[in-house]
Amino acid sequence: MKNILKRLKIRNFVSFVSFWIILFLYLLAIFADFIAPYPFNKQFRDYPLCPPTKIHFFDKNKRFHLRPFVYEYKLVNPALNKYEILTEKICPIYFFVKGEKRKILGLFYSDRYLFGTKEGKIFIFGTDIHGRDIFSRILYGARISLSIGIIGVSISFFLGFLIGGISGYFGGKIDNIIMRIVEIFMMFPSFYLMLSLRAAFPINLSSFQIYLLIVIILSFIGWAGLARIIRGMVLSIKEEEYVLASKALGLSTFKIIFKHIIPNTFSYSITAITLSIPGYILGESTLSLLGLGIQEPYPSWGNMLSVCIGNLRILSTAPWMLTPGFFIFLTIISFNFLGDGLRDVLDPKNW
Amino acid sequence: MEEILKLENICVGNEELKILKDIDFSIKRNEIVSIVGESGCGKSMTLRTIIKLLPKNLKILDGEVIFEGIRLKDLNEKEMNKIRGKKIGMIFQEPSSYLNPLFTIGNQIEEAIRENLNKEEKKERVIKVLEETGLSANVYYQYPHQLSGGMQQRAMIAMALINNPSLLLADEPTTSLDVTTAFTIINLLKNLVDQHNLSILLVTHDISLANYISDRIIVMYAGIIVETGKAKEIYENPLHPYTKKLIECLPEKYKKGEKIKTIKGEVPLLKNLFPGCPFSPRCDYKMKICEEKVPIEINFENRTLRCFKYGDIVES
Repeated sequence: MKNILKRLKIRNFVSFVSFWIILFLYLLAIFADFIAPYPFNKQFRDYPLCPPTKIHFFDKNKRFHLRPFVYEYKLVNPALNKYEILTEKICPIYFFVKGEKRKILGLFYSDRYLFGTKEGKIFIFGTDIHGRDIFSRILYGARISLSIGIIGVSISFFLGFLIGGISGYFGGKIDNIIMRIVEIFMMFPSFYLMLSLRAAFPINLSSFQIYLLIVIILSFIGWAGLARIIRGMVLSIKEEEYVLASKALGLSTFKIIFKHIIPNTFSYSITAITLSIPGYILGESTLSLLGLGIQEPYPSWGNMLSVCIGNLRILSTAPWMLTPGFFIFLTIISFNFLGDGLRDVLDPKNW
Repeated sequence: MEEILKLENICVGNEELKILKDIDFSIKRNEIVSIVGESGCGKSMTLRTIIKLLPKNLKILDGEVIFEGIRLKDLNEKEMNKIRGKKIGMIFQEPSSYLNPLFTIGNQIEEAIRENLNKEEKKERVIKVLEETGLSANVYYQYPHQLSGGMQQRAMIAMALINNPSLLLADEPTTSLDVTTAFTIINLLKNLVDQHNLSILLVTHDISLANYISDRIIVMYAGIIVETGKAKEIYENPLHPYTKKLIECLPEKYKKGEKIKTIKGEVPLLKNLFPGCPFSPRCDYKMKICEEKVPIEINFENRTLRCFKYGDIVES
C-alpha cells in the first residue's frame, strides 16, 4: 500500500492528490458528528438563506486578532433575505467548543465539537431555506452519498466478477444463457429502470430502508454491463499460456479463475470501479433530486441540490445552496483521476 | 527398469481429422526420451494428451495412457489435478508468457505446493528449489518481466519440480533461448534426472540436442511415429528417410560456405492427408506402395520403424 502510494506520487501526481482528497472527504463523512458545528436537522428560524459567514482576522478598526472571529448577522428584509452584518460585536472562533450533546460515531456522547463560536453563529457555506447549516448537512450528507458509491460498487462488482467470470470461463451454453439475461438488463434505459424499480416499492419507507433500497437498485442496474466486459476479458485471458501452465500444475478451476484470470482483469476493472463510483453518487443524487431518494430532513448531496431545482430565485439570491454540487464534482473528478493513476501503477510492468 | 509412462495406440482428433495416430511408446524411470520432428507433427499434442489438457475440439479417440500403473483415461478432472503438477510437471517453450505477469516468482511457485506447509516452510522450499535450478534466492521476490529468458525458464523448471514429480514433460524448453543459455538449461535438466529421480519427455526439433541429452529418440511425422531407438543409434545410423533428412539438415555437418540442404516441401496439412505414407511426397525413395498405404511398425533390436523400404510387410 505504501509502495503504491509512493509510485502514484512519482508517476501521476494528480491522482496522488486525488487520493488524499478522497481520503479527506471520507474522513469528513466518518467524523461528521465531531466536525459539524450543528446537527443536520437543527433549524435556525432567524437565519433562512443566510450567506456564508465571513471569517475575519482584522476588525473594522484594522486591529489584528490572532484568534479568527465572525460577526453576527441580522435578517433585515425577510422577503428578500437581506442580512446586515453587525460589526460591533466580535464573536471569536474556538476549537473544541462546547455545544449540544451529540452521539459521536454512534458510540459515546460528547458536547465538544471541532470548532464553533460561543456567541453568534458560524455558517461556513451559509444556510438553506429552513435556516439549517449547509456545511453540517454536507458532512452528514457525505455519509450517504459517499457510502452509496462504495457499497453499490462492491455489490455490483461482486456480481459482475462472479457472473462474468463464470460465463467467460466455462463458455458454451452457460455463457449463452447468462449473456442473454445480461442483455435483457442492458436493454432498458438505466434511468427508467431505476425509476420503475423505485416505483415498485412504497414511497413512505424509513430513511434507512430507502438507503438500502437505493444501494440495491443501483447495483442491480450496474452489474450487467460489468459482467459483460469481465466475460470478454476472461474469454481472452483464459487462452493465455499462463492459464495453461497453471492447469498443467493441477490447480483447481476456482484457483485458476480467482488467482490467474480475475487479477489480470484488474488493469481494466480497477479503473472501472473508480470510474463507476461517481455513477452511483449521481444515481443517488438523481433519485433524491426527484424526491424518490433520501427524504428530508436527512441530507444527501442529491436532495440538498433538489431544493434548487425549479427555484431560480434561490439560484440568484443564494448561490451557496449549490455547494453540494461542488462536492459531487470534487468527488467524481478525484475518483476519475485516482482510477487513471491506479491503472498505471498496479501494472507490474510499469514499475 | 520399470516403465513409468506408457502410451498404447493413442489416437487423438475429432470427427473430421486425426492429429495423432497409433502413438505407442514408453518411458522408463530416470530416462530422458526426446520426441523430434518438424513443426506441426503433433509433438506438443502428444505431451498435452499425456497430461489431458488437449484443446477443447480434440479428444482422445482411442488408446490408453498409463502412468505409474494408473490408466489416466479413467480419472476425472479432480483426480487428474492430483497428478498434474504433483506427479507430472510440465515446462513450456516460451517461459515469459507461461508465467503470470502479475505475481512474483515466489508467489507463483508457492501456490503449486500441494502439501500443507506454513508460510515459512513454503518459502524455504521454494528458495531451495530455485537454488537447485541455479537461481539466487532473490528471484523469489521478483516479477517475471524482471528476469531474462533463461532465468524465466529456470523459474518454470523450479515450478515444475516443486512437488518432486516423477515425470517432467518439456515442450521445447530451449526454443526461445540463445544457444549458450539453452545449453545450460539442457545441462540443468540432465543433472536433475539423477538428483530428483526424474524421467523427462522432451519435445524438440533439434535432433542434435536430442542426441546430446536423451537416452532414446522418437521421430514423429504428421501425427505418426516414424522411427524410435537409442539416441546414439538414431543419430549415427538413421534408417527412416525422414530421420536421415533431419540429420542432413544440421548445420554442424557442413563446412563454411557450403549450402545447407533442406527438406523440400512441407509437413502436409492433416486436413488433406492422403491414404499413403505421409512422408512419401518428400521422400527420395518413394515407391508405388508408399502412396497407397501407411506402413506398419517394424520392430528390431530395440528399434521401431515405419517404412516400406525396410520390409514388405503391409498393413492389411
